[in-house]
Amino acid sequence: MISELIVKIAFWLNGSVRYKQIKTFFFNVLENSDYTYKKYLDSLMIFLILTSVGILVYEVRNPVPQWMDTYDIYIVSFIFLVEYLLRFWVHDDLHKVIIREYEQARFLHKPFLLRVPFAEVCKSKIKYVISPSAIIDMLAILPAYRPLRILRIFVLFRVFKLLRYTKSINQFVDVLATKRFELFTLLFLLLFITFTAGIAIYVFEETKNPNITTLFDAFYWSLVTISTVGYGDISPVTQEGKAVSMFIIVSGIAMISFVTSVIVSAFSEKLDELKENRIIEDINRNKDFIIICGYGQMTKMFLRQEIDGHNDYVIIDKNTERVKQAIKDGYKAINEDASRHDVISKFNVDYANITVLSLTNSDIENIYIALNAKSLSRKIKVIARATDEKMKKKFELAGVDYVLLPNNVANMMLLTSINQPVMYNGIHAILTGRNVAHIDEVSVFEYGDLVNKKIGDIDFKSYKILFIGIQRGLEGEFVFNPSKETVLQEEDILLLMGLRISIEYFKENYVRSHL
Amino acid sequence: MRKSAFVFGYGRRGSSFAKGLKTDDYHLYIVENREEEYEKAKSDGYIDVVYLDVTKDEELESLPMSNQSYIICVMEDEHLNVFLTLSLRALFPHATIVAISDSIHVTQKLKMAGASKVIDLYQVSANRIHNILRKPVATKLLDSFISNDYAISFREIEIPLGSCLDGVMANDIDFSSHGVLLLGMIDVELSHKFIFITSGIQHKLDEGDTIVCIGYNEDLDRFEAKIKEIKEGQQQ
Repeated sequence: MISELIVKIAFWLNGSVRYKQIKTFFFNVLENSDYTYKKYLDSLMIFLILTSVGILVYEVRNPVPQWMDTYDIYIVSFIFLVEYLLRFWVHDDLHKVIIREYEQARFLHKPFLLRVPFAEVCKSKIKYVISPSAIIDMLAILPAYRPLRILRIFVLFRVFKLLRYTKSINQFVDVLATKRFELFTLLFLLLFITFTAGIAIYVFEETKNPNITTLFDAFYWSLVTISTVGYGDISPVTQEGKAVSMFIIVSGIAMISFVTSVIVSAFSEKLDELKENRIIEDINRNKDFIIICGYGQMTKMFLRQEIDGHNDYVIIDKNTERVKQAIKDGYKAINEDASRHDVISKFNVDYANITVLSLTNSDIENIYIALNAKSLSRKIKVIARATDEKMKKKFELAGVDYVLLPNNVANMMLLTSINQPVMYNGIHAILTGRNVAHIDEVSVFEYGDLVNKKIGDIDFKSYKILFIGIQRGLEGEFVFNPSKETVLQEEDILLLMGLRISIEYFKENYVRSHL
Repeated sequence: MRKSAFVFGYGRRGSSFAKGLKTDDYHLYIVENREEEYEKAKSDGYIDVVYLDVTKDEELESLPMSNQSYIICVMEDEHLNVFLTLSLRALFPHATIVAISDSIHVTQKLKMAGASKVIDLYQVSANRIHNILRKPVATKLLDSFISNDYAISFREIEIPLGSCLDGVMANDIDFSSHGVLLLGMIDVELSHKFIFITSGIQHKLDEGDTIVCIGYNEDLDRFEAKIKEIKEGQQQ
């Protein structure tokens, strides 16, 4: 009876779009670092943590006002608690497991037992609860519990929470993890020497040295000495003890330099990768960006014209020299092979509008890059460069949205300038965006008042604008000079020409009346 | 009189350029200094193909070239191309010399050598990418004007004497019912500059002015015929 009800609820949840939307939203905000709005939550959390720790420090010498205490104990803890519960909730989907089990049971004609899915989900949730970051989260909430007020020091666990919200610390840990083997070996060696030397000093001096009374004192001395810290509160008094000291001092120096070099080399090996990851993270925060493949003449030209910083971009080239040059020229560049699946998939393919410019000088490579991008997502727009007309077809088969033939473009310009000189100037003026003939594309969607309006009802003439036509949807057809009865739809794009100010005025008018 | 156009170099660029040039408007000469390309140009059906050493001024002078000629330098060898531009400029100080370059440095050298217009392969391509990214619809439309495989195009129509458009204010006319849009005009009275309709200047059309319209080719044909037809009617 109960199980039936639960299955029903599970199905209802599974069917509910709203539930899914909400859950996806929280998942994105909490766990998906590609999500645009995650950074706001991150900043808020960092702020809460820092203020909380600040209060802890302030409290040591000053009496804390009531509001501060309330803020620290209740508000911050409450937010942390909510966060903890949300993370617990989005970690996995109970209803999906129930449905899966239920359907399997129906299929196999065996009785449906609620405890199977519950056990599975519990296992996964427990696994989450005992994960290090979840434990830290839990400990960070604890100071709110009054009887545990003595454990004010638990507030310090909130500092550990920073780990979750700051990438650099995570990266540091990741880098060290790559040298796990070396570091563990050294740690083991360190423990071994500390241990032996500790026992030795204990045996030699326990009776003679008033400072060493327990084995713990001996280990403490040993570690302080081997780490070259040497407080001097305990020092050997016998010949034998001094000999042991000399031995561990030397081995200590050797070991410290060894550890340092291991960490440094781990970083220098990973430095480029870290930098590149940083570039990718940065660019992934944008809604639209361009990935430029290949740093050659054309890319240089393209970037040189990109003065206004209209688009955010990143250059990918597999040639180390060229990447170095690009970085030297002040561009964001990554030394990777853009035709590899895992390289492009690092970018925020799901949420951002990505345009790939495939501008290397090899057709084969350009086609491969295009195919690679398109295979990841059809949404990625690809503009590729081809050497000649015969290649164009292949590029189009590969799904390239726009094939650029540099020779053809130049030829076309040359021919137009000679065959149709008047038009050449006109087109040139239009394309370079000269003031008189500014051509602009107005998306109906952005100017709400245009939706469902008849073309005849819009007085373009009074704005001194020439209305050329509409593009019906991004992939749709272009309608030149549509009839006055045509009704504008949301996905339409108007093509207008006129003085820049006329078009600005037109846009402004429609935006304002919309608001 | 037809103008003459000289294409220097019949390599990859030169050949596709020559193919695209409207031969009814220009008398086309092809000049080559390589035997193989010279033969190829001939076998492609060009009549005026000249084989000569472009580094020698005497040989260049022997060409029927004048200050009114169009000279297109598209030699494969960029050094030769720059040198040729320089020699031609020295010989014909007022001729229009156009050259294609494929790097910033060559562009600069060609300009210094005296080319009137240098089309930088990468620059125009980069420009194009910008346009595709920012104004995809407009770019598509403008492309179709240039290439002849699309039905919409530009048309320059000269207003004949007594036409229905003679003496009309440009802003008052609405051609859209004819399926044609008025983009601008070239006024003989003012200057020979192209004036965009959207510049907002009140302008009266006169006989001899050239209007530039865009539209489907059929509509443009009909429209042009209409202007001329009325003219005949008035004359009768």
